Amino acid sequence: MDVMDTEQKSKLVIGAVCAFWATRQIKFHNNQGGNIMGINEIINSPGMWAACGIMVIVVVGQSILFLRKALKHAPSVGLTKDQTKSGIRASIITAIGPSFAPVLVLLSLVSVLGAPTTWMRMNDIGAPRTELAMAEVAVGVVDGELTPGAMTAEAFSAATWGMALNNVGWMLLTLFLTHRMSKALGWMNAKYNPKWIKLLMLGAAFGLFGYMTSNQIVGKAPPALVAVLAAGAGMVLINKFLGKYRFIREPALGICMIIGMAAASIYKTMIG
Amino acid sequence: MEKTVGMKAKNLAPAPEGTKEAYDRQNIRIGIVTVSLAIIANFIPALYLWLVKGIALDVSTILTIWALAFATFGVSWIVQPISYSPVMGIAGSYISWIAGSVADIRLPSANMARKAAGVEDSTPEGDVMSTIGVACSVFVSVAIVSVFTFVGMGVIQMLPESITSAFSYILPAVFGAVFTDMAIKNLKLGLITFVASVIVLLIVPLTPIPSGFSVLFCVIAGMLLARLLFVMEQKKKTTEK
Repeated sequence: MDVMDTEQKSKLVIGAVCAFWATRQIKFHNNQGGNIMGINEIINSPGMWAACGIMVIVVVGQSILFLRKALKHAPSVGLTKDQTKSGIRASIITAIGPSFAPVLVLLSLVSVLGAPTTWMRMNDIGAPRTELAMAEVAVGVVDGELTPGAMTAEAFSAATWGMALNNVGWMLLTLFLTHRMSKALGWMNAKYNPKWIKLLMLGAAFGLFGYMTSNQIVGKAPPALVAVLAAGAGMVLINKFLGKYRFIREPALGICMIIGMAAASIYKTMIG
Repeated sequence: MEKTVGMKAKNLAPAPEGTKEAYDRQNIRIGIVTVSLAIIANFIPALYLWLVKGIALDVSTILTIWALAFATFGVSWIVQPISYSPVMGIAGSYISWIAGSVADIRLPSANMARKAAGVEDSTPEGDVMSTIGVACSVFVSVAIVSVFTFVGMGVIQMLPESITSAFSYILPAVFGAVFTDMAIKNLKLGLITFVASVIVLLIVPLTPIPSGFSVLFCVIAGMLLARLLFVMEQKKKTTEK
């Protein structure tokens, strides 16, 4: 009896959903001739906020889970409360500066794609410029235009699909790769000299950040080079002379970032 | 019969609570579940527009968009997670490829968390501190992005132009500081890898290779140079003896 009931209920629910969807379809197509049911209103509608907010919740929730696990595990690898607290402070201060970098692109995204979509896409994978480029490519497929006010329903939908299809690439790779990579690393450590494996990892990290840093310099205007050099010099000074003071060590990266930015701005106004 | 099979599988699985194996496996479980959720969440706005608002695209249009995404960013999808995985560790990788900003926010925060706690990377305690650093950086970046999404325009207009124009130097400054901080630990390897990266970036645009591969070449160059230094030092040791 119970089984029958649930089956009937689920049929009813499915029927209701289909009917609801069908009316929406009709409504949309009826409106297509005239003004499309205010796509600009949909872009910033409460429904869109809810649909986009789910990703932000997943992102924050995931970090809460990993943080809790790490804090619980910390004592068993010999980390004191003092160490973890200092690490938390340092990482929070460090993250503030670079979080401001995409703010200008963020604002241009808000004006085209609306606040909810921007909010979601700036909090998930895909650098701001990547999201903007992908939205532009996708909108181009439906002959739309990515300009404020000129957005059609079709173009907005294309942009939404485009960013989703692009971002899922990284997510799928991570899903299938991460646990395999960690296994490979354990195997390498067992098979080869761990000292050499450590140097190998350092080489990989240097290569990665060598790329990141030189990518800011090669083919860019000279103030960028000034920023790299000044921030690097700041880091040397802090490491050499001030590393023993915790109140300097924790915000070290933030301080160096400001030094680099200031030096580049001064260079630009003085020399050009 | 069934029971004994079940028991055997169970006996193989659990490592004692608190060991590195158990910690890694728990992290992998969290990672797989949360990344799967993120993949679903990723498509919800598009599905919302389609199913609720009735704004549909043809399947062929969606496939065209996917093909273009793959052509433009497919190299990055594959190359980036592979290049970063030795540095990010397990939890760090799962967070990074959902939350993004890997090189400019996640990695520097992990580095600074380890530094402040005074632990080395590629150690169990270093791994835990990296995870703590990466997770905390997510809270900060989500908070800042949220603030600017809600009240962005107003705040930006209040700032003088000299500050907003300096925004374009945030990334070079961050990478300059992070790279220097790392290179101090092994100056020789740091410097030659940097030179190699500049050479890679100058040469790749002259070839038909997509520029997305540059990062992988730089990582491979770093690893080869590390090997070279290691072998040379081993040789020096034996000749000294």
